[in-house]
Amino acid sequence: MNRFIILVISALGSAPMLSQAIDVDAAAQTSAARIAVGTCAGCHGASGVSTMPKFPVLAAQRSTYLVDQLKAFKSKTRGDPDALAFMQGIAASLDDAQIAGLAQYYSSQHAHSGAGVAVDSAAATRGREIYENGIESQNVPGCSSCHGSKAEGKVEGPRLAGQHSQYFFSQMTSYRLSLRDAAAMHEIAVALKPSDIEDLAAYIGSR
Amino acid sequence: MVDVNFSMGQGAAVRSTVRGLVLPALAGALLFSTQSFAVPSFARQTGMSCEACHTVYPELTHFGRMFKANGYLLTSLPQVRGETTTKEERLSLNQIPPLSMMVQISDTQLSRSVPDSSGVGIAQNGSVAFPQQISLFYAGKIAPHLGVFGQLTYGNDSGTLQIDNTDIRFADVLVLPEARSLIYGLSLNNNPTVQDLWNTTPAFGFPYAASNATVSPLAATAIDGTFGQSVAGLSAYAFWNESLYAEVGVYRSALQGYANPVTGAAGPLDGSATNVVSGVAPYWRAAYEYNWDRHSLEVGVYGATFKVFPGGSTADKPAPLQGATNRFQDVAEDVQYQFLGESHIFTAAATRIHESQSLDASFLNGASANPRDELTTFRLTGTYYYQRTIGGTAMYFSTTGSEDAGLYAAGSAPGVVTSVNGRPDTKGWITELDYLPWLNVKLQLQYTKYTKFNGGGNNYDGFGRNASDNNSLYILGWLAY
Repeated sequence: MNRFIILVISALGSAPMLSQAIDVDAAAQTSAARIAVGTCAGCHGASGVSTMPKFPVLAAQRSTYLVDQLKAFKSKTRGDPDALAFMQGIAASLDDAQIAGLAQYYSSQHAHSGAGVAVDSAAATRGREIYENGIESQNVPGCSSCHGSKAEGKVEGPRLAGQHSQYFFSQMTSYRLSLRDAAAMHEIAVALKPSDIEDLAAYIGSR
Repeated sequence: MVDVNFSMGQGAAVRSTVRGLVLPALAGALLFSTQSFAVPSFARQTGMSCEACHTVYPELTHFGRMFKANGYLLTSLPQVRGETTTKEERLSLNQIPPLSMMVQISDTQLSRSVPDSSGVGIAQNGSVAFPQQISLFYAGKIAPHLGVFGQLTYGNDSGTLQIDNTDIRFADVLVLPEARSLIYGLSLNNNPTVQDLWNTTPAFGFPYAASNATVSPLAATAIDGTFGQSVAGLSAYAFWNESLYAEVGVYRSALQGYANPVTGAAGPLDGSATNVVSGVAPYWRAAYEYNWDRHSLEVGVYGATFKVFPGGSTADKPAPLQGATNRFQDVAEDVQYQFLGESHIFTAAATRIHESQSLDASFLNGASANPRDELTTFRLTGTYYYQRTIGGTAMYFSTTGSEDAGLYAAGSAPGVVTSVNGRPDTKGWITELDYLPWLNVKLQLQYTKYTKFNGGGNNYDGFGRNASDNNSLYILGWLAY
């Protein structure tokens, strides 16, 4: 089987498949809002739109992805540098109800648009080509198959539209170094050149 | 407690000297005014690395400021819990106490040694401090909405273990419409500005560590560490949407090591005590912070008004705590800019404190030459770090004020901390290089250069000592674990 196709299937297979809505009661919603606004806001912004590009935009992110990541932080299976420095500690005391509440809180916030963000337009154009069609010569599939044609996220992959370029680049580096537990993304990150990732980061940051 | 503070005008150890004239007995208390530090207690409690809350310790990032405003409550530690049948939380206690230690080891070299106290010869130059200071911290959550920063310190100058900076906080947060936040709380603390969130105010300002074996100038404003550890303050604060901060509070004397001569007990204070605040001293603070991209900008104002009884009764000169007082009204402005890049970190900070002094008590007893004086302190600091590993800071400092031959008196013999022209003016620079092989270990090389000292550049004491003679080189190893 073509390695390109294997990567797509692999990516699909390793993605979180929890597509159902998360059931969060009113008390958990209130608790989550307090945590989000009182604590998480310091880095991610009160409505999930971080100002510092080091920290990801969470607004309108898929709730299942957020649950998976918070649990990965809590179980220390996500080990990129900022996970170690920040999120493993933050997530350690969260229970399942709080995790679900936080996921719902951020997923229900208004999506952040990268339109107007200053990026290298030539890089963004190259990044769009990679995003939509991949790079067959490097066995890299198009990102849209998992992350949606508008980078809005799908069952198979998180929302990327409007994400900070710096954060995107640092996470692709983490995938490449296997600091995040995602075999398919590791394969893709290894296959991409740094310049490809920069192009993708420019495109995603401008979405 | 030692003075890890300042070797110059801001130096609590020497602020006392000025107050020693205006407020004759504050000296002992002032010796122990110290900085508040970043402590591994918080890292142990939160499970987060130092860099979450600090650019390089002890300077706070925006997240660090939020952690403090929220009462030091964020914890990743297992809790001992207690709940009522209605799920009301009655206990939430860290199973492992967030304790930590700090050790500072130093060496200080003066440009020119000071006269021997016997009047013959000179003192040995090159002061090794092993340790300069050892502190034990309990810092973190103690109840669902209650947290504490507590510090006990052994200092080589006092030779004893004493209470140091303490900040006990109640804090909670309201979620307002449109995901706005309102953090509100109370701080019970023992050093005006120790509860503040920015590194521009005196308790947290640069230099974060300095020698306690140098010559310090005479003058400092009241809010500039003068009352550290000798007062208790209660303040209420609100922080809206992580941007607009307001705080009001009061401070009242709470002396350490005092015994009433009549009762033999720790109180009540009478004229045997010195520099006792009359009633309570109001404290206020307002600041606005704006964060964008990798940048953070804060502008603010703060101040306090202390009415103080000089006290210090002697057998032939009673000084009961009544009648005339000295009034120190401090109004200050501050500004801070931080750039937090992945590799490069830069901070610029400045503060200006203006003090109006109404010296009714001191003028009456002859301790001051004027009934009214002014004093202004200004500091401008720039700090750069590369990958939180190597960096440095440069600071310009200046204290200027009214000529007052009573407050800033000449000596009859070489005294080093005197002023031949009765002026408080002290100016100079501090340059510091820092290397952090690990995030909790700092090796520091600091040079303090005076261009003016106690009113003069040359022969400021009338016995041939120049301001530059008090320049100092300070080498410090600072371990936090």
